[in-house]
Amino acid sequence: MTYNIMTCGVGGQGLMLVSNIIGLTCAEYGLNIRTAETHGLAQRSGSIYTHIRIGDDVFSPLIPYGEADVLLGMEAIESLRYIEFLKPNGVIILNDYVWQPVQSTFDRVNDSEVKYIKVQDIIEKMKEITTKIFVVNALELALKAGNSLTSNVILLGALSKIKGFPIPKEQLKSMIPHVVPKKAIEVNLKAFEIGYEEIK
Amino acid sequence: MIVDVISEDKGKAFLFCNEAIVRGALEADVKVVAFYPGSPVSEILDTFYQISDKMEVKMEIATNEKVALEIVAGASMGGQRSLTALKSVGLNVASDTFFSLGYTGVNKGCVMVFADDPYCHSSQSEEDGRFFAEYGYFPLLEPTDPVEAKQMVKEAFEISEKFQTLVLMRTTTRINHQSTVVPLEPLNRTKFMPSSFRSYNRSYATVGSRARELKSELLKKRDRLQAEFENSKYNTITGDTSDIGIITSGVSYNYVLEVVRKLNINPLILKLGTTNPLPNNLVKKFIEPLKSVIIVEELTPYLENKIKALSKDVNPQLTIFGKESGHFSEANEYNIPIVLTVIREVFNISSEHDYEKILLDANKLKSILPVRIPVFCPGCPHRATFWALQRAVGNNSDKIAFMNDIGCYSMLLLNKKIYSKLHPDDLLLAMGATIGTASGVSLASEDKVISIIGDSTFFHAGLPGMINISNNYENVVIIVLDNSVTAMTGQQPNPGTGYGPSGAPKHKIQIENVLKGMGFENIVINDCFDTKSCIPEFRKALEEPGPTVIISRGPCALWNDRNKRKRGEKIQPFFIDNEICRKCHTCMRDFYCPAISMESEEGEYIEESGKTWNGYSSHISMELCDGCGVCSILCPYTDHENRSEKDVIKPFSKEREVRHDL
Repeated sequence: MTYNIMTCGVGGQGLMLVSNIIGLTCAEYGLNIRTAETHGLAQRSGSIYTHIRIGDDVFSPLIPYGEADVLLGMEAIESLRYIEFLKPNGVIILNDYVWQPVQSTFDRVNDSEVKYIKVQDIIEKMKEITTKIFVVNALELALKAGNSLTSNVILLGALSKIKGFPIPKEQLKSMIPHVVPKKAIEVNLKAFEIGYEEIK
Repeated sequence: MIVDVISEDKGKAFLFCNEAIVRGALEADVKVVAFYPGSPVSEILDTFYQISDKMEVKMEIATNEKVALEIVAGASMGGQRSLTALKSVGLNVASDTFFSLGYTGVNKGCVMVFADDPYCHSSQSEEDGRFFAEYGYFPLLEPTDPVEAKQMVKEAFEISEKFQTLVLMRTTTRINHQSTVVPLEPLNRTKFMPSSFRSYNRSYATVGSRARELKSELLKKRDRLQAEFENSKYNTITGDTSDIGIITSGVSYNYVLEVVRKLNINPLILKLGTTNPLPNNLVKKFIEPLKSVIIVEELTPYLENKIKALSKDVNPQLTIFGKESGHFSEANEYNIPIVLTVIREVFNISSEHDYEKILLDANKLKSILPVRIPVFCPGCPHRATFWALQRAVGNNSDKIAFMNDIGCYSMLLLNKKIYSKLHPDDLLLAMGATIGTASGVSLASEDKVISIIGDSTFFHAGLPGMINISNNYENVVIIVLDNSVTAMTGQQPNPGTGYGPSGAPKHKIQIENVLKGMGFENIVINDCFDTKSCIPEFRKALEEPGPTVIISRGPCALWNDRNKRKRGEKIQPFFIDNEICRKCHTCMRDFYCPAISMESEEGEYIEESGKTWNGYSSHISMELCDGCGVCSILCPYTDHENRSEKDVIKPFSKEREVRHDL
């Protein structure tokens, strides 16, 4: 069995932390994993993604189109941008957040008729290919956990609740202290739990 | 993770490929490393940077790739195992020394990792460095993933010492930027012991008659290497006997493995891990009984042309499915859909996979999406510099020529709508090319030439061109964007930073002193965050004949943030007072900071005089604002020198933390 997770967002949102925690857990508990990451130029407030692939038959670092079990979107525009990777009726965990690209701001400054895209516009499009969309307000929940920078761990917690996700929740959670700074362990563990509870 | 790279007791670890390469070199007891950063291999440098003192590895961040290669070659000749890593275009820079090294050979294990970048993720051209190996007579290893990369880099040191040659290991972006669980072997590090170059009493000199002698030895060495590679464990044949075979190498092998499983076939696959010299006999034996062969390799038909030549001897009727047949492209990188489509066609089998339809459907959904192009970070000094430069150019946009270069500022080119007055896509060739081309354009045309170059690029490849400009008194404005580090590749220190690996102090080279030494008379130093005061300086330089060099100084925001975090400081973001914002958009226009967006609801502000301002206010994201405050300088309704409640853009009372992953 292969389990594919496509994570996407904007450079600087902490996607790497999510794939690192999953990767460390796999190494610790004997699962085969391969990830493909974005580095370099695109990290400058550009569109970024990580392909995460778990299973014995995984060789390619890239997920084939139409085979991601879960699309984990830290930002709404970038979630739709990689929609070709999602399985028919696959799961989308969507952060209720649009980071408007400066190119859109440019268009609005220069043309008063132009509007920003909204999360709802994006969800409408996603509904055309899946019914399993979980919208999570990660920033709000991260603030509830105690630190706005834990949005990524909120979504990781949500991911661990998804039916079929191959890593037990406690195993995943146990690796968080290995990758976050000491003083941030507690707030991240709390964020993970809050994210987990968010998926009903 | 770094802790795993130097772990003494772990049997396996989840490693990024560039970390796995470092681990392999450490297991091989490497003693000297030198690099110039470049994506996709920058993290090899970054990893060594953090551990070199703990592991007793002597490390230098060299001024460029040629110097880095010379450092490791010299270290090998001097008696220490050494390694460098560079990107495809970095090998172009190093190539002069590179080809001579083939002739002279080396002494202790000397390894060069180089990475091609199919799809140009972060390069100006798609190059196929395998030809460098063939042309230079160097052994070439190509791993398929991080596990093999670690094994190969380790073995490369052995091959290097056995054959007294520099050994190359080639990766591609998809291999470097991949993570997986990698088995670890013991580190067994030995203490660094200085050697004696003199005691080896060998010559590494090549010219004329000596070069001719060395060439004939080099050809013999190649033949011995070929014989060695015929039995290499990195070349494998798997699968059932069949009429159709597949030959592949590198990351393409992974796609092939997964595709044959998807299609439920088990054909003969020859995976090549040693691609120069090619194990000709092994290849011949493989293709001899076949009717046809599919060759899966990204970029040029390097293997294909060699296999075609070999088939002439053993199987002239062999049908080859590859680039010439039109099945695969020489452009971009491959993936499972591309490889599956060809293998399915050649094997004449059907499957449900309809990737075209998936893409078509997805593209319909995506038609509503705005573009998102990489831009300067919040707090980036370049944004401030180019705001001022656009203002200075003003209505003279049609009288300038703009020479761009390699660095974060290359992104101007991607955002040419925002920077339209500068014509940022006039020219961008290669590291430092901004300077030489500026001379040429100024010779040829009457336009005022603006040439931009970063501090690291200035040291890397700008110096010879700069001397040429000073020497010939060319009519050029050169803007040195000095943000103190090599920002684009991950904020590594450079000769102007003042420290090196593990934070050890280094002799800081001041750019203005270098320029004075070169004979430049007009040298201006701007604080780029004091944006408005930069405009007259730019204007003056554009009006005056002859060369002016403007150093536009301000620290890289990412680097600055990381330093703040180390010092325990926080960021004080700014906010826009919606109640009094005049909705004039001056803070956005020509500036376009990613932290500033426009409100979605219209608002109104009525002045005491009754004057009314309607429209959409600006909004600053507290999470994204870096606190540079430049927007508050631009705002006509903010007095940044005497801040008060009347200002539209104000510093937020609450500070925010710096991200820990910076």
